[in-house]
Amino acid sequence: MQEVMNWSDEFLAGTFVIIKLFFISLVMVITWGLLGATAKLSNSRIARGIANGFTVLCRGTPEFLLLLIVYFGSAVTLTSIARAINPEIRFLDIPPFWAGAFAISLVIGAYATETFRGAFLGIDKGYIEAAKALGMTRFQVFWKLRVPMMWRLALPGFGNHLLSLLKDTALVSVIGVEGILFTAQQASSVNHKPFTMYLTVAFIFLALSTVIVVTMKCVEKYAYRHLEAAR
Amino acid sequence: MTFESSLILESLPRLMDGLWVTLRLFVLALTCGTVLAVGMVLLRISSRKYLSWPVMAYIYVFRGTPILVQLFVIYYGLPQLEFIRTGPLWPFFREPFFCAWFALTLNIGAYTTEIFRGGILGVNKGLLEASKALGMTYAQTFRKVTAPIAFKLCLPAYSNEMISVLKATALASTVTIFDVTGVARKIVAETFAPYEIFLSAAIIYLILAWIIQNGVRLLERRISRYAN
Repeated sequence: MQEVMNWSDEFLAGTFVIIKLFFISLVMVITWGLLGATAKLSNSRIARGIANGFTVLCRGTPEFLLLLIVYFGSAVTLTSIARAINPEIRFLDIPPFWAGAFAISLVIGAYATETFRGAFLGIDKGYIEAAKALGMTRFQVFWKLRVPMMWRLALPGFGNHLLSLLKDTALVSVIGVEGILFTAQQASSVNHKPFTMYLTVAFIFLALSTVIVVTMKCVEKYAYRHLEAAR
Repeated sequence: MTFESSLILESLPRLMDGLWVTLRLFVLALTCGTVLAVGMVLLRISSRKYLSWPVMAYIYVFRGTPILVQLFVIYYGLPQLEFIRTGPLWPFFREPFFCAWFALTLNIGAYTTEIFRGGILGVNKGLLEASKALGMTYAQTFRKVTAPIAFKLCLPAYSNEMISVLKATALASTVTIFDVTGVARKIVAETFAPYEIFLSAAIIYLILAWIIQNGVRLLERRISRYAN
């Protein structure tokens, strides 16, 4: 226990890093999910093709490999561009934190695309027709009807994606982001107590996923508050 | 920066060596994890709390933490404990492949138990009452009615789990195993051509995932050949 207390500041900082990573990727996940689902349901063949390619690629390759492709791929591209401008430059990469957030968001975004697509399809057509009859524009229909009605249907699936997202934040330690797993690696190389250190990491993740589960229960209750009386 | 296709051809034999390791890890972990889940789900659906609660705790811990962390606890962490290092299992826990297999098996066990439970709960109650009326014992009902139907109900979720496991095997490369991802990382470290090599590795995983998905789809069609 003493060993963990000695590193408590670092663990706290690492926890903040993964929480930050979680929320930044979450914003991207929702963006990819909405874009992907809209593209999959659109009439345009090209949009559907791109969205299908995106989901197949990002759901079929390991998260870890995708992370390596994004991080090392972007580093090679950036370095060669920079060298073309200034031959003095040896190496250039995008910050691992952002590469990690982007890579994770692609994977979970692909899953969210499918969830959102299903939820969009679950909306009663009558509402959309009524809105059109009222003279609402397509933009208004999307933001005022489709999205609010869709997210309620998407909630259970999306809650699971949030858990996967949280767990995927552990991966970024491999490319050097100072998350809690990275902290544990450093700590155990100093105090030779890897079991204690990694178990602490597991406990922190367990606590955070418990928070997500409880939050999602509350959000679900809030989403269905108008049906409370009917139950 | 150029895209060198010759590099892909050169590294293909080494990636195939990695594929063998990936497949071995995948099949071993999936088989053992599924067997574990069959045992666990019997405890999980029990009405006796002292049987079902430990399983619930196990599932909660393994589903709530990243596989990478579980793997690190087992591979890097366990040697800290005196009784592991002096115990009879030390030759196993020293091996990275064994640790990766162990972590994956426990993880698959936790997820698959929940999948199986969902399937068992989905079996129509009327069928159970009918078999009771026929005088079948609980064990007979489970073996001849509940289990086959539950198996069919679980298949779609189970095929998703299989693909997750395939993707999770890539994490084994973090504990010095040369699976497809591990080999790819090594080649990239030598050549620094991440696009060519990592994308080839990604295609290998995509093909495997495609095979799994379609294999299960065929199996599903065969199982439900009496349904319509």
